[in-house]
Amino acid sequence: MKSLLNFFLIDDSAFDLFIYEKLLIKSGITDSVKTFNSAREALKFLLHEGSTIPDTIILLDLQMPDMNGFEFIDEFENLPDHLRSKIRIFMLSSTIDTRDIEKVKASPYIIDLLPKPLEVTFLRKKLAI
Amino acid sequence: MNEKPITILYIDDEEHNLHSFKASFRKQYDITITSSVIEAEEILENRDFCIILADQRMPIMTGVQFFEKIRTKFPKPIRILITGHTDIGAAIDAINKGEVFRFIDKPWDYQYVDTAIASAYDIYKTREDLKQRNSELQKANEELDKFVYSASHDLRAPLMSVLGIVNLALLEEDVKSQNEYLELIRQSVKKLDTFIINIIDYYKNARGVPVVTDISFEELVTEVQATIQYLPEYGNLKMTTDIEQTGIFQSDVMKLRIIFNNLINNAIKFQDKSKPDPYVHLTVRSTPTHATIIVADNGSGIRESDQDKIFKMFYRAGATNSGSGIGLYIVHEAISKLGGSISVSSQIGQGSVFEINIPSIKK
Repeated sequence: MKSLLNFFLIDDSAFDLFIYEKLLIKSGITDSVKTFNSAREALKFLLHEGSTIPDTIILLDLQMPDMNGFEFIDEFENLPDHLRSKIRIFMLSSTIDTRDIEKVKASPYIIDLLPKPLEVTFLRKKLAI
Repeated sequence: MNEKPITILYIDDEEHNLHSFKASFRKQYDITITSSVIEAEEILENRDFCIILADQRMPIMTGVQFFEKIRTKFPKPIRILITGHTDIGAAIDAINKGEVFRFIDKPWDYQYVDTAIASAYDIYKTREDLKQRNSELQKANEELDKFVYSASHDLRAPLMSVLGIVNLALLEEDVKSQNEYLELIRQSVKKLDTFIINIIDYYKNARGVPVVTDISFEELVTEVQATIQYLPEYGNLKMTTDIEQTGIFQSDVMKLRIIFNNLINNAIKFQDKSKPDPYVHLTVRSTPTHATIIVADNGSGIRESDQDKIFKMFYRAGATNSGSGIGLYIVHEAISKLGGSISVSSQIGQGSVFEINIPSIKK
């Protein structure tokens, strides 16, 4: 049996964390979702415990207080290679702003923008699984 | 007359011209005189003028040459040339090179000069007003951009949450857990509704015509309290009030309601549930000229680094999902529209104190 994927959800909305954690597990794509309600908290985790994590997919919200999704990416860029290579990032956002969409496309660290609400079939297609 | 006097710089190498000009007009205008074009430039470096008058025939350079020289560096003042004998060549130069607004013939006549200054000032004022409007408009546009960006997010996000929940609920076979999803949908819809009400408040505050009436703080607070005490997040917060009002205080009741509503709501939303006795205490001291409102709580507090930013539009302090970052912005806008001020002192984990001072508005 193919091993399941490991997910991180980063979103300031407790709602969306709850919904998407449940959705991901229900869909059978994963049985391991770790949730962070702030980008800074997620970054701290990666800095301290990053070496222990398996290959991980991060679903990153864009508009968050304190540190937004793009600011998280700026910090992510400074992480060591061996850590970054284990992580694939998707932006998960309800944005329809063209500047945001362009910025996502231009970023080498973001694979793609997943519109909210998350469609797991769409995510599977993007991951080619 | 205007609040600020019209400032005029007059340059003429003949001292007696300068003095007679100053003697004739010093009562209605703020006049600076100099006999040297070099000094005139130095004066312009340090002060703004509405109008510059220059004599055409001067040593070192002519009036037209002087205007041509200073025109790009000091474009704001309107230029008037005073000349004894006008030949057509000098007139053409004056208009094309010096961009002179008006000629004044020597010997000048009081009425004529006064009219010339008045119309020059008109143009000056119109240009300045236009510049002012332009920069205001630019600021408004930037704010609108930011507003649309953030508002569209705050409007869509709860809707997308609802859609997400619906998708999830459709996957669920257990009918019992549907109620849990419905509850989440309810909360999400409520959040969206709160945001829309905020936007309407903001609009009313920014564009609405203020209605000044006699204010009874007692009544106002009771009214606000009535609307909030049934909120599900109210919990076992204890709200106490201490209102002392002497004489008649006048203000815009709608703005005051927005202020009270938001501050008390925040105290409810950001109460520290780990404390055994969460409270919000409201103090009002009102005289016929002035009111002080203090909202103090023992809630979660505001980080020091956030304290100067919380009044900015769409600034959300902390990582909770409760606010959209518009409430305190509206409070701040409403208070400044009332001519008052707001300050905050807060310690994380201890609580926050908001103090508002507003003057009574005389009808």
